[in-house]
Amino acid sequence: MLDSIPSFARLVAELAKFPGVGNKTATRLAFFLLRQPKGQAEALAGAILDLQRNTRFCSVCFHITEQDPCALCCDPGRDATLLCVVEEPQALLAIERSRSFKGLYHVLHGALSPLDGIGPEDLKIAPLISRLEQGGFQEILIATNFTVEGDATALYLAKLIQPLGIRVTRLAYGIPMGSELEYVDEATVNRAVEGRRDI
Amino acid sequence: MILENLKLRCYRNLTEADIAWNEHFNIIYGQNAQGKTNLLEAIYLLGHLKSFRGARGNELINHAEETAWVGAVVTQGVVKHRLEIGLQKNGRNPRIDGKTVQKLSQFLGYFRTVLFTPEELSNVKGFPAGRRALLDRAILQTEPAYLDRVQEYDRVLRQRNQLLKQQADDFQLAPWTEALVRTGSRIRHDRQVYLKRLLPHFCQVYREIGGGQESAGLNYSIEQMPLEQLTAHLAGALERLALREKKLGLTLAGPHRDDLDFLVEGRSLRAFGSQGQQRSFLLAFKAAQVMDLEVQFKEPPVLLLDDLASELDNRRQEGFFNFLLNRRGQVFLTSAQTPLLTEPVLQTGSFFKVDQGMVTATSPERG
Ligand SMILES: [Zn+2]
Repeated sequence: MLDSIPSFARLVAELAKFPGVGNKTATRLAFFLLRQPKGQAEALAGAILDLQRNTRFCSVCFHITEQDPCALCCDPGRDATLLCVVEEPQALLAIERSRSFKGLYHVLHGALSPLDGIGPEDLKIAPLISRLEQGGFQEILIATNFTVEGDATALYLAKLIQPLGIRVTRLAYGIPMGSELEYVDEATVNRAVEGRRDI
Repeated sequence: MILENLKLRCYRNLTEADIAWNEHFNIIYGQNAQGKTNLLEAIYLLGHLKSFRGARGNELINHAEETAWVGAVVTQGVVKHRLEIGLQKNGRNPRIDGKTVQKLSQFLGYFRTVLFTPEELSNVKGFPAGRRALLDRAILQTEPAYLDRVQEYDRVLRQRNQLLKQQADDFQLAPWTEALVRTGSRIRHDRQVYLKRLLPHFCQVYREIGGGQESAGLNYSIEQMPLEQLTAHLAGALERLALREKKLGLTLAGPHRDDLDFLVEGRSLRAFGSQGQQRSFLLAFKAAQVMDLEVQFKEPPVLLLDDLASELDNRRQEGFFNFLLNRRGQVFLTSAQTPLLTEPVLQTGSFFKVDQGMVTATSPERG
């Protein structure tokens, strides 16, 4: 049926490329867009083009930015002795939202995963090391994801940074705030117990 | 633990079923290849999220359909839960009381079962993988989080093997080796703790159900030691094997290569056991699981007996049947033969006839 309306079929096909969007959802979204006023569709198309045109990766930390270096890298109010390493820009944003970290960032753009063909050279690891070699950092907080791949990447980086004599820390495994212990899954409790500290 | 009812849609050849079960004995009978074992497999799936026949998810779906669905109400203690598993060609969607689970391990533990099937006999004498599977499935019924640990280990193992195949240097390999040691020694520890707990039950039941004066034992290929020592032990083994690993492109030490030796009078059943001994051994291993679950959870697990009717003729197994029939819990058994149906103790049970994928509650006289 869709084949008889090529422009509709094309939009559905493009939307279905989005993560978490299947054909069904893509069709629903396409119908939604069809019913929008003309200005609305143009605004959306413009926003997408602007995003592509105006943003790039910061040449220092590899976060998304419109100016290079990015606002975070240029902010004199941030602690330049502290560096947090994350897999993706989304993780950086999550830590920023928490307002718990006042240092600088470095985005790896992925994690080591031999099965997916992702090795050290596919991540922003070389620029990280040259950043560290320039000196000034006293602590590197590794905040890769708590997955098999994120853990291995953290271990790999720790070994790589060790000769530089900089302190390396890993984000602690925690129990979600406001949760009662009996409802937290066992693996999380297990890791939290292993990572316990003095008070 | 009671399975109150079971509903099936498009599960193998069982296109549509809605069955209310007896809380003690359920006898599923009918000619071969009509769907008896499929029915038992669907019940097993509710407790293990896996087929005991090694079938992949898409094989469980009726070949004319895209999806299948298994739904049940189970009673755990005094609480009823609604369990559902939606099966698609490329995955499963388990739900508890209408809510999708975040992790598969959350689903385990709501319905604990122990399966007895002649098909598993080959595990006793076959490759180590079969015996590891017997052991791992048993642990999963007592500790659902074990599934997370096994999945984590498997992922690390596959990643590390990939690097070994690529001839990656030691520096790249190191974090994966460390992860393998951490997750692998934990699995060995879990297995050893479980076997230590199981052994007394096992020795007792083996003598009772037909082993006579023979002594039986379970021997895990890695000596028992505390977790820290297991960690050092595995790390040391990998260091020694490093060169060979690189040559072969494979991880050569870890729980994925361990074996569980079944011993009678100190000798391995794999090599020396008679068919009868192997059979007794498997039955005792299962019966010990039942006893352990009863102790751990103060509630009997559900027993699934696949096609054990032929065993009835075997005097050696009489003790085993007495053990089973004396259980307080719910029992499901399949049978193609009629002698089983006249066993007096089963007369209190409910009978279900399976014919060309149709399940009907019936009585043996009328059936
Ligand atoms: Zn930046």
